[in-house]
Amino acid sequence: MECKWQESNPLLTAINLQPSDRIVSTFEQGLSDANFITTNLMKKIFSEDGKICLLILHNTIGHYHNVLKCLGHDLMQKLKDGHATTIEPLKNITDFLTSDKETLVKHLFLAIRDKMNKLLVSHPNGRVYLIIDDLSHLLDLDVDVKYMTSFINYCINLVQNDRVHVIVSYHIANANDKVISNCLRYVSNLVIDISPLKTGISHDVTGIISIERRHSTDVALRKSVLHYKAYDREIKTFAPGEAIYHLYK
Amino acid sequence: MEENSKLPKSVLNIPGTKPNVQNGQLLLSSGIPSLDELTGGGFPVGSVVFIEEDKQCTYAKILLKYFIAEGVVCGHSTFIASQDMSTNSIMQELPDVLSFDPEPDLNKSSNDMEMKIAFRYQKLPTSDKPKELDIGHFYDLTRVMPRSTIERSDITNWSKQSSTNVPNTFSNPDYHYLLEDIKNKIQSGHFNVTDKVQQRSILRVGLHALGSPMWFDRSFTGLTINQHRDLNMFMFCLRALMRSAFAIAIVTVPSHLISKHIIDRCIYSSDIAIKLQSFAGTELENNSVLADYHGYFQLTKLAAINSFASKHPGSVEYVYKLRRKKFSIEKLHLPPGFDDSQNKKTPSTGCGSSTKHLLEF
Repeated sequence: MECKWQESNPLLTAINLQPSDRIVSTFEQGLSDANFITTNLMKKIFSEDGKICLLILHNTIGHYHNVLKCLGHDLMQKLKDGHATTIEPLKNITDFLTSDKETLVKHLFLAIRDKMNKLLVSHPNGRVYLIIDDLSHLLDLDVDVKYMTSFINYCINLVQNDRVHVIVSYHIANANDKVISNCLRYVSNLVIDISPLKTGISHDVTGIISIERRHSTDVALRKSVLHYKAYDREIKTFAPGEAIYHLYK
Repeated sequence: MEENSKLPKSVLNIPGTKPNVQNGQLLLSSGIPSLDELTGGGFPVGSVVFIEEDKQCTYAKILLKYFIAEGVVCGHSTFIASQDMSTNSIMQELPDVLSFDPEPDLNKSSNDMEMKIAFRYQKLPTSDKPKELDIGHFYDLTRVMPRSTIERSDITNWSKQSSTNVPNTFSNPDYHYLLEDIKNKIQSGHFNVTDKVQQRSILRVGLHALGSPMWFDRSFTGLTINQHRDLNMFMFCLRALMRSAFAIAIVTVPSHLISKHIIDRCIYSSDIAIKLQSFAGTELENNSVLADYHGYFQLTKLAAINSFASKHPGSVEYVYKLRRKKFSIEKLHLPPGFDDSQNKKTPSTGCGSSTKHLLEF
């Protein structure tokens, strides 16, 4: 039987996150904002009693707390209860400024591994999710592509443990960022693309969601494309062309 | 600043700020009422505002002056840096504060301009009715702020340092020193979110023409590409610093001198991105339709903080106008084409005779 929260959340119904989705990538193109995907996935994880290790590189913990509160979860309480843990390099960013980018990436991964191990030990039966938001900021810190790919490689190798899942969000501002995004796209089981409308800004439609799932048993990719409209407290999705119907129903 | 849905009382009492109840943000004024309205009530504390300068850097500098003047009037602390011009000269040219709008929009206030058709709607309130300012002040660009007022406020003018220990962080060490100095200012002024002080204030950071050739390190002549990449790293670090403090930064950048992919990343690291496109020196300068305005004002990005939806006004096109006493941003309204007939000139020469002889029928 489908859960009640899933019925009321068309976005999560459309994404339909499954246990077989071990590596999930979210890409935001241009000026679009894919943060709502991360927060909605966090809602689903908490609803299923999963644990989260959140690497924050773009927003603050306060932002996640406020948005998740709209979705019915108290992140601060989850942190206190040990259901979630965070790694926040933004708090002491100047310490991260070093010419040795290999060491930077290495320290970051070791911090992730330690926190993940603690979560796995404290919750011996549930699933543990590593959420990275947003990986592309490592490019801003001038981390070389080879160290970025190594970092991704180490992170996705965490899924060798059956209880670990990895969710990575990545911003594609221009063609240079596509090297890493192609790498992530290649290894992911579920790829979610958020992009603005190609025709410009619309009052009725905020952007396009493309969901692409790769099954281990199925050779063919399954792709669905939706339009969405962002409101203060929720996201409404609908099939392309249904915007007017969606507004008047 | 880290956003919480309930703002503590010490934060609510900061002069020159206004809480946004809907999403638990603290807003402050840019100094330009029309810009505050456009950005959903003001700039959120803890954000980075990225301004792509017009080619002459005339109007971006005016925005910066308004922003700093508003900080001085509200008693906020100021940190200002520039390599293209003296920071003292920016401070000496700050506009003076007024208690009233120096040049109100006549179309909105005068009774003579009331619509004659649809009279039944005249008593209904209009959205264009001038509102009283919640935060912010009016300024007069023709008058300069008194030196005594400026001297009373906490202003830090950043100057370039020369040190023998060159850090290995940025290819241009100036960015490192600037970042360190902003961080030190945040710590010494107790602007950190975690600092416990009785009376909080805001730090306003104004960085003028960042990434311009004047910022290049003269000792490394061949490293311009790396020095531009420094800009991305600097913007990301600045974002991190602002997020953890009661501070806000405005960064103006000569985007026409910098590669697009660098600018794209900078926009991503900022919360509000604005592009000023001046008509001066372009073919639009002589366009009669745009004669009332001085340039396009493009709100490229308005981040959704503490919410799913951005307050971006959508596809509406905005223009800016520099009047004698004030700078204002308005919606672009094309004038009605009444004078089309006047502009039409009848050809005097050609195969067909357009000027018929009186006897011809």
